[in-house]
Amino acid sequence: MSSTYLALHNIHQKFGTHHALKDVSLDVAEGEFVCFLGPSGCGKTSLLRIIAGLDLPTAGKVNQAGTDITYAPVKHRDFGIVFQSYALFPNLSVEDNIAYGLVTQNVSAPQRRARVKELLATVGLSGSESKYPAQLSGGQQQRVALARALATSPGLLLLDEPLSALDARVRAHLRQEIKQLQEKLGVTTIMVTHDQEEALTMADKIVVMNHGVIEQIGSPQTVYTQPKSAFVASFVGEMNFLQADVAGDRTLKSGDHTIEFNGLLDPKQSDIQVAIRPEDIRFFADQDGENTYAGRVAHTEFLGSRVRSTLKLDGIDAPLLADVSMNEMATLNIEAGHPVYCQLPKDRLHVFEGAK
Amino acid sequence: MDATSTVSRTNSNKRPFFGQKSLDEWLLGSVLVVGIIALFICIVLPIYSLLSKSVQNNAGEFVGLDNFLTFITTPSLSSSIGNSVSIALICTFIVTSLAFMAAYGLTRTKIPLKGTFRLVMALPILAPSLLPAISLVYLFGNQGIMKELLMGESIYGPIGIIIGSCFWTFPHALMIMVTALSNTDARLYESADVLGASPARTFFTVTLPGAKYGIISVAFVVFTLVITDFGVPKVIGGQFNVLATDIYKQVIGQQNFEMGAAVSVILLLPAILTFITDRWLQRRQSALLTSKAVPWVAPKRPIVDRFFLVTMIILSAIVIGIIAMAVYASLVTFWPYNLALSLNNYQFDLMDGGGWESYWNSIEMACYTAVIGTGFIFFQSYLVEKLGGYKVIKWFFHLFAILPLAVPGLVLGLAYIFFFNAPNNPLNGIYGTMAILVVCTISHFYTVCHLTGTTALKQIDPEFESVSASLKVPQIYTFWRVSLPVCLPAVLDIASYLFVNAMTTVSAVVFLYSYNTTLASVAVLNMDDAGDIAPAAAMAVMIMMTCMVAKIIHWFVGDVLLKSSQRWRVR
Repeated sequence: MSSTYLALHNIHQKFGTHHALKDVSLDVAEGEFVCFLGPSGCGKTSLLRIIAGLDLPTAGKVNQAGTDITYAPVKHRDFGIVFQSYALFPNLSVEDNIAYGLVTQNVSAPQRRARVKELLATVGLSGSESKYPAQLSGGQQQRVALARALATSPGLLLLDEPLSALDARVRAHLRQEIKQLQEKLGVTTIMVTHDQEEALTMADKIVVMNHGVIEQIGSPQTVYTQPKSAFVASFVGEMNFLQADVAGDRTLKSGDHTIEFNGLLDPKQSDIQVAIRPEDIRFFADQDGENTYAGRVAHTEFLGSRVRSTLKLDGIDAPLLADVSMNEMATLNIEAGHPVYCQLPKDRLHVFEGAK
Repeated sequence: MDATSTVSRTNSNKRPFFGQKSLDEWLLGSVLVVGIIALFICIVLPIYSLLSKSVQNNAGEFVGLDNFLTFITTPSLSSSIGNSVSIALICTFIVTSLAFMAAYGLTRTKIPLKGTFRLVMALPILAPSLLPAISLVYLFGNQGIMKELLMGESIYGPIGIIIGSCFWTFPHALMIMVTALSNTDARLYESADVLGASPARTFFTVTLPGAKYGIISVAFVVFTLVITDFGVPKVIGGQFNVLATDIYKQVIGQQNFEMGAAVSVILLLPAILTFITDRWLQRRQSALLTSKAVPWVAPKRPIVDRFFLVTMIILSAIVIGIIAMAVYASLVTFWPYNLALSLNNYQFDLMDGGGWESYWNSIEMACYTAVIGTGFIFFQSYLVEKLGGYKVIKWFFHLFAILPLAVPGLVLGLAYIFFFNAPNNPLNGIYGTMAILVVCTISHFYTVCHLTGTTALKQIDPEFESVSASLKVPQIYTFWRVSLPVCLPAVLDIASYLFVNAMTTVSAVVFLYSYNTTLASVAVLNMDDAGDIAPAAAMAVMIMMTCMVAKIIHWFVGDVLLKSSQRWRVR
């Protein structure tokens, strides 16, 4: 494992009585792409601003490349930042914008020009030197902002919701580009986002946050397939939840049904939630096999490549969402009002503490 | 995960006492501190001296409310309260109605020549308030050309004060009203139309409520402007006493400073009331219009359009007529006996009041005010808006910067005498110099400039400073390279506002000029006082022309030069 580049130790931040961040600790390895993911107000932007030095923590420590930078002035830190608004200087040309940080670092004019040219080529905007920000599209402005942040070759790149002001198509395209660029340059990157798709596709490591605490840290696959909490499970991807009680070491009871579970359960626990992703529910023609229940299709919703059906299982109040492909749908005759048998495979179940 | 978790994660590190600011942020912070000290000395302390003087007697002993009691129990003095209030109320009603009609014509009809009408109706702002008063003397005075229209009534008194005050406050009212009526939402009109409302009903249920805050704001502004103005009643008021002339008489005529201070405090009340109402209204107003509003485009309404066209022509004719009368009077050799045109009245050096020197003094004062004032105000408003930290200082800075709006010029001038002329004041030396005139004028007009600056700065991205800090660029460099160029139009607005007001103001400086620093606007007053009305008119015309030139330069630099040299402004 590569060495830790940035380390946050027990960060707290309070605004009056509001506890924006509670005991946040995190290690970021060199060259890693980390996403802070969470709903608005979860503290992800506060954390980014503390790393940048734009705000101060109430308690805790920030270490970058082995130095304590908790209270270091913004200017004495080594990072580049891209804001949601891009914050391009409207009265300066693209070239002057990108070279803005180089001018005060005594870089000679020819070197500056060469660096700007190189960066513009990197972000795919060669030849735009003399344009002004207002003459560029949103996606192009974002690239210029990225080039400006990278111009001084910072050790750390901070991205604050960089794609949220763009339309869907441009966003998907830039997502890939930023990721490739980051891999090529090997710059340690932290991106703040509320878009789980963005986080899943771009990050090496996702930090899921809620109410000022870290809910889970892990790779995109881990966060998706092994969510540590009901919040992570519901925020990243779709998830069905059922109220249940522990009935045995490996069995649960929900309504009239017994549900088999793969892992060991704590019999002392009551009031737990069983969860399953819509794509993990399987349909069958008859009621064979474990965890298979009879029910009815209440409603179907066409999503393009697949269909999302809403199921009512006999003896369970909460409706379940299940995704099926178009082919499966035709063979199993899944239509609103039709009876179905469906299985909740025991190796795909998640169990979380507490009622929802 | 890895070995770092074994490192002790205690929070033993303390925040360094110097915070996390870098050197240049500390330097900018100290400039802000210097700025707030300057405001404290130039605005807060003088007003405090005035307030304390109003509860002292001649010997400087505390006498409580005795001065106020004397004022109220002296019939000749207390009657001026009634006079002032009734004059101000009448003007408020007239100006608010006319400004509403004019603004409606400019924003909600299809009449031609809107730009020209607007330009003409804004003209009075370029002249001192003395100009309409002098003009009225020529039109309706004892030897006036239209004296018969008054049917035996005298122009010297309430009638003159009302007409003159309406004339010079009209453009101020019009500006606010046009803004209020420009904010339309076509969807409301469409809804009213679809629901079958008559034009009259639409007017009373949509148009009028939409402009409600603007109308209230105009009413308060006009009331305050009229009640605190001193130029018009001084020239044309005759024996009709108002509060503003009382202060002048008490201080200049009778050297009764304590009574002057007491009257000033009374005069502060309506201004403070207006100020508070205005703040309150602005908070309400902002919530009124959503960003989704679709501007309303006036349909063709022949009768309505014709009515407003006639109204605009009449209003413009009155404005032009009053100004033209002053210009004509200044050119007539000897009214009304020798109507031959000459420039005799422009030979100011032959009259009392300071001569041509006072004109050049005014230009000098206005230039200093514009240059120093704009530099100081804009840079300070930049620091207030864009420097990190210093929350308490910024809060007080804002408070001090807003304060002058509630202080009438006459009151501020008197406050300056009390504060700067005190023998124990180390700044005593600037009393009677050009410096005190410049300082007083900047302070007097501080608020509008400060708000212009902060509004412009609020519109630029708040992350510019963060970005430049992350690029290790000093903040002052970003100010010079980005914030200042982007805000140049606002900077020009501030400079031209300060210049024009410095040229035309009488109220504050009338107490502060000395033999060496006579000013053009004060010369108008003094020549009129001495009976040299034609030269007074001539000087007023000179002031107006100078302001026109300043406005033309402003337009040229702002609209022609900036747009051609700053390619990025054009999309």
